[in-house]
Amino acid sequence: MTGFIGIAAIAAFSYFFLHAESQPAVLGLIAAAVVGVPLLGRFGWIERASRSLEANKLGGRIAIAIALAAIVWLFREENFAMLMLASVLFYTVACLGLTVQFGYAGVVNFAGAAFLGVGGYTSAMLAPHLPHVLVLVVGGLLAALVGSILILPILRTRGHYAALITVAFGILFRQFVEVNDALGGPQGLQVKGLDLFGWDLNSPIGELSFYTNYVLVGLALAALAFMLVRRLERSWVGLNLDAVRLDETACAVFGIDVARWKILAFTFGNFFAGVAGAAYAMMTGFVAPNSFTFADSLIMVSIVLLGGVGNAWGVALAAAIMLVLPEKLQALQEYRFLLYAVLVIAILMVRPQGLIPRRARDYFA
Amino acid sequence: MRVSALVCAAAIAVAGSAFAQQKQTVKLAFIGPLTGGVSANGIGGRNSADLAVRLRNEDPKAKYRYELVSLDDECKPNTAVQAATKAAADKSIVAGVTHYCSVTAIATVDTYHKFGFPIVVWGAVLPDITYRNKYAEVHRVNGTMINQNDVAAKFMTGQGFRRWVIIHDTTDYGKAHDKYFTEYLGKYGGQVVGRFGVTADQQDFTAELTKAKELKPDVIYFGGLTPIGVRIRSQMERLGMNAVFEGTSGIKSDSYIEGLGNKLAEGSLSFIEGAPWEKLPGGLYFTGKYAQAKYEQGPEAYGPFAFAAANLLMDTIEKVGPDRKRVIAELARVKDKDSIIGKITFDDHGQNVVPLISKYVVQDGKWVIWEDSEYGKGQRKLKH
Amino acid sequence: MGDLGGQRVWQGPAQAEALTRVVDVGLLGQYVANGLMLGVIYAMVAVGFTLFFGVLDVIQFSHGDVLTVGAFTGLATFIAVQAAGIASPWLQLLFVILAASAAMALLGALIAKYLVLPLRSAPPLNILLLTLMLGAALRECVRLFYPQGANPKPFPRLLPQDSLALGSFTLRVDNLMLLAGGVAAIVAVHLVITRTRLGLAIRAVAQDAETARIMGIHFDRVVLLTFALGSALAALAGVMNGLYYNEINFSIGLLLGVIGFSAAVVGGLGNIYGAILGGFLFAALQTIGAVLLPGIFPGLPSAYKDVFAFAVVIGFMAWRPTGLIAERTAERV
Repeated sequence: MTGFIGIAAIAAFSYFFLHAESQPAVLGLIAAAVVGVPLLGRFGWIERASRSLEANKLGGRIAIAIALAAIVWLFREENFAMLMLASVLFYTVACLGLTVQFGYAGVVNFAGAAFLGVGGYTSAMLAPHLPHVLVLVVGGLLAALVGSILILPILRTRGHYAALITVAFGILFRQFVEVNDALGGPQGLQVKGLDLFGWDLNSPIGELSFYTNYVLVGLALAALAFMLVRRLERSWVGLNLDAVRLDETACAVFGIDVARWKILAFTFGNFFAGVAGAAYAMMTGFVAPNSFTFADSLIMVSIVLLGGVGNAWGVALAAAIMLVLPEKLQALQEYRFLLYAVLVIAILMVRPQGLIPRRARDYFA
Repeated sequence: MRVSALVCAAAIAVAGSAFAQQKQTVKLAFIGPLTGGVSANGIGGRNSADLAVRLRNEDPKAKYRYELVSLDDECKPNTAVQAATKAAADKSIVAGVTHYCSVTAIATVDTYHKFGFPIVVWGAVLPDITYRNKYAEVHRVNGTMINQNDVAAKFMTGQGFRRWVIIHDTTDYGKAHDKYFTEYLGKYGGQVVGRFGVTADQQDFTAELTKAKELKPDVIYFGGLTPIGVRIRSQMERLGMNAVFEGTSGIKSDSYIEGLGNKLAEGSLSFIEGAPWEKLPGGLYFTGKYAQAKYEQGPEAYGPFAFAAANLLMDTIEKVGPDRKRVIAELARVKDKDSIIGKITFDDHGQNVVPLISKYVVQDGKWVIWEDSEYGKGQRKLKH
Repeated sequence: MGDLGGQRVWQGPAQAEALTRVVDVGLLGQYVANGLMLGVIYAMVAVGFTLFFGVLDVIQFSHGDVLTVGAFTGLATFIAVQAAGIASPWLQLLFVILAASAAMALLGALIAKYLVLPLRSAPPLNILLLTLMLGAALRECVRLFYPQGANPKPFPRLLPQDSLALGSFTLRVDNLMLLAGGVAAIVAVHLVITRTRLGLAIRAVAQDAETARIMGIHFDRVVLLTFALGSALAALAGVMNGLYYNEINFSIGLLLGVIGFSAAVVGGLGNIYGAILGGFLFAALQTIGAVLLPGIFPGLPSAYKDVFAFAVVIGFMAWRPTGLIAERTAERV
C-alpha cells in the first residue's frame, strides 16, 4: 500500500516540477525534495515503500504505468515537456545498455555517446530508404558491429588500459565523423522524422504536441529494454555476467568463458545504445559530430553511476534528474556541466553506491 | 450597502481600465553565439537587438510591450537546433532574430519550418540558408557571400596578385566560400595553386602551412571565422610566410586584431556586404544610441543588421498583431522598407538584396575602409 | 614456422612521390621540428600521469585540465605583472613560470589530499570517474569564472621572435628555447627521481607502499609531493603551449590530457622512460598522419591525423596490452 502512495507522490511531484515555470517555484520544489527524501528515509518510509512494491510486483508496475500515462496525458500539448520526457526515455534505454556492460559484466565503456552516434548517423543515412522500424534495428546492429572492433583490445586489457581504449575510441569516432564529408562533416545531417507503418510521428494529432508521439514510442522502447534487462539480470546469463565482474580469475578457474560473456555484454549494451540513438536522432531531426562528444559519454556514465550501478530503476531516475533539472533551472543553464561534475564527485565521495543501490541477488524470491 | 457596492464597482472599473491600458507583452527570440570564439559578434548582435527593443518600448505609440529572449547557439549546429527548438516550441515567442554563424543558420532552417516560426537572419552569409528551400518562415536582412567573393576576386586580381592558396574550414560556410571564390577567381584570371580544408576548431596548422609555403602563393585566402583566422595568421608568421592574408566577413571583428596584436594583423584584408555603416543613413543614429546605452561589447560588424532585423519584426507585429502566421504573410510583402541599413526588399526566397560590398584593411590596429586607408591611397603597400 | 621475414613496403607511385617531397631536407626539418615540439609537450604531460600512477595506482584524469588552469594562471600573472609596471619580458616570463608552477603544485597537492587519497581503496573505476569529473569541473570553472573564459585568449609573446631562414626551413629562436626548456624540465624531473632522497622515496612507494611505510617513509607526504611535482610540470607544459601557439583556451587540457594518458599507457604506465617515449611516439604518429596520409590518399584532410593516431594506439593496445615497457604487476587472487 505504501508503495502505491509512494508512486502517486512521485507522480504528483513530477507534475508540479514539470509545470513550474518561475524559478522560485522550481527551487522550492527542489529544496522540498532534497530535505524531504532523506527525512523519509530516516523514518523508514522508503524501506516500507520498496518492500511493499516488491511484495506486489504486478501491482507496482501497473501503478507506475498509470502514473506515467497520467503525466503524459496532462502534458500532452506542451512541446517542451514532451520533448524532455522523450529524451529521458531514450537516454534511459541507452544507459540501460551501459548498465549491462559495466553494471553486470564490469566492462567499462567511456564511448557511450559514440554508439548513440552510430545509431543516429545510421538513421540519418538510411531513413529515406528503409522502413523505419528496420532502421532502428539496423542502427542497433551497426552500433554492436562497430563496438565489436574494440572487442579484441578490450579483452586483452584490464582496468585502466581498457578504459583508455574506450576513451580513445570515443574521441576517434567524433573526429572521424567530423572530418568525413560523406557523413555530413562538421555540419551534420538532417534526419527524417520517424514514420511507423504510415503514422508520421512528426505531424501532430490535433492539438497534441508532435513530441507526444515520440514519447509513446519512447515508452514502448523503454518498457521493452527494461523487461529485457531485468530478465537478463535474473537469468543464468546475468549470473555469469556478475561472476565475471566480481572475479575474473575465479571464473576462469571454474571454467566460465570470460571472453564470451564480456563480448555478449558489450555487444548487447551497444545494441541498445544504437537503437536509442537512432530514435533520438529522428526525434530531434538532426545529428552532428558535436552532439556525440566525450563529455556526452561522461554524462551517460554519470547517469549510470548516479542511479546506482546495476539498478534499472535507478537509471531511469538518474536520467530524469540529470536531463530535466538543468532545463528547469534557467539560472543554471550555463553552469549545467559544472553541476553534473560536482554532483558526481559528491556522490562518489559520499554515496558511491548511487541513489538506489542495486539489491543483492535474492535466490529465493 | 448600495454606496459600498457603488464604490466597489467604481474601484473595479478603474482597476479594469488600468489593466486594459496595460500593453500586452510580446516576446521575440534572439539567437546568436553568446559564448565561444565568435562571441564578440554574438553579443554585439544581441546588444543591438536589445537596443532596438528598448527604444521601441520607450515609444509611447507602440501597441505592444516587447521582450527579448536571448538564447546561445555557441556557433555549433547541434546547440543551435536545441535553441531553435526551444524558441520555436514556446508558443509565447512570436518571431526570432537569428544566427550569426552560417553553420547554425543552415542547421536550423528545417526546425523553424517545422514549427512555423518566422525568423530574420542577421549575420549568416551562406546562400543556401535562403536558397536551398523555399521556406516562407526564413528571411535574411544581410547579404550572401556570393557578391562578397565576386568583388573580392575582382579587386585582388586588379591589385596584381596572381597565385592563391585557399585555406577554408570544412563547414558548409568555409566550403561555400571556397566554391564561390574559386569560381570568381577563375573568371578574373587568378590561379589557385593549392587548397586546404581545416576543421573549425583546429589548433595546429603547421602541416598545411608548410605545404602551402612551398607552393609560393601571393595571397592566402581564408574562408572561415576569427578564431582559426587568428591562429593561421600567427602560424604563417612562425613559418616565415610572406603572403598577403585575405579573409572574408568572418574575420572582420575587433577580436581578430586583439588576438594578433597590431603588428601581425597589419595589412589583413576583409570584405563585407553592405555599405560601411558610418556612411549609412541610419548609421550615425544607431551608433549614437548604442553608445548612450553603454554596453560593454561593441556592436561589431553585424550589429546594425541585428538592429534592423529586430525593428523589422516589431514593425510587422505592430501592423498585423502577435500571430506567427500573419507575421509570415506580412514579411513576404516587405518591399523598399526603410531601415538603418538602407532599404530592405525580400525576394521570393526571403533574401534581402544588398548590392554593395565594402572592402576593409587593417591599418594601425583598426579596420579601415580600403578607399579611406593609406593602402588605398597608395601610401602603403601590402606585404607580398 | 619461424619466418619473421622482411617487411614489404608498398611502393605505389603516390607514396613514392610523397616520400620524395618529404625528403627535401628543409621541409623534413620543418616537420621534424614541429613533431619534436608537440612531442615534448605530450611527454611532459605523460610523465605526470605516469608518476601519479606509479605512486598511487591511480589515473588522475584531471591532469590535462590542471595544465589548462596552469596556463590561465600564467596569463593572469602576466596581466598582473604587466599592470605592476614590470616591462622586461624575461622577468615577466620568470614570474609567469614561477606563479603557474607554484599554484599548480598547490592545486595538485590539494587534489591528492582531499579527493584522491581518501578514495584510495575504492574500486579503480570510481577514482577514474572522479578525476574525469574533476577535470570537467576545472574546465568549466575556467570557462565560467575567468573573465570571458569561453573565448580563446591571446597569450603574450614573451620569447624573442627572431627567426633564421635556411631554405624551406625556418628556424625560430623561441622554438629552440621552448624545446630546450621542455627537455631540461624532463631531465630535471628525471634527476629528482633518480638522484635525490625524495626521488628514492617516490620510487620506494611506487614499488611497494607498505614496505616503504615500514621503512619509515612518510606515505602521505610523498604522495602529496609527487602530485605537486607532476602538476608543476603540467603548469610548465601549459605555459609552453601558450608560448608556442600564442593562444590558450579552456579546452586545451581535454585533448592534451587524453593524449598524455595514451602516451603514458603506450609507453608503459609507471615508467618515466616509457612516458617520454610514448609522448614522442604519439607526436610522430600525428605528424606522419598529417604528412603521409594526404600523400597516399590525395585530398584527405590533415585532420585525419588524430583518427590515425588514436586508431594506432587502440591497435597497439591489442598487441601489447601493458605498453612498450611493461608494468610488472602482481595480483592478489
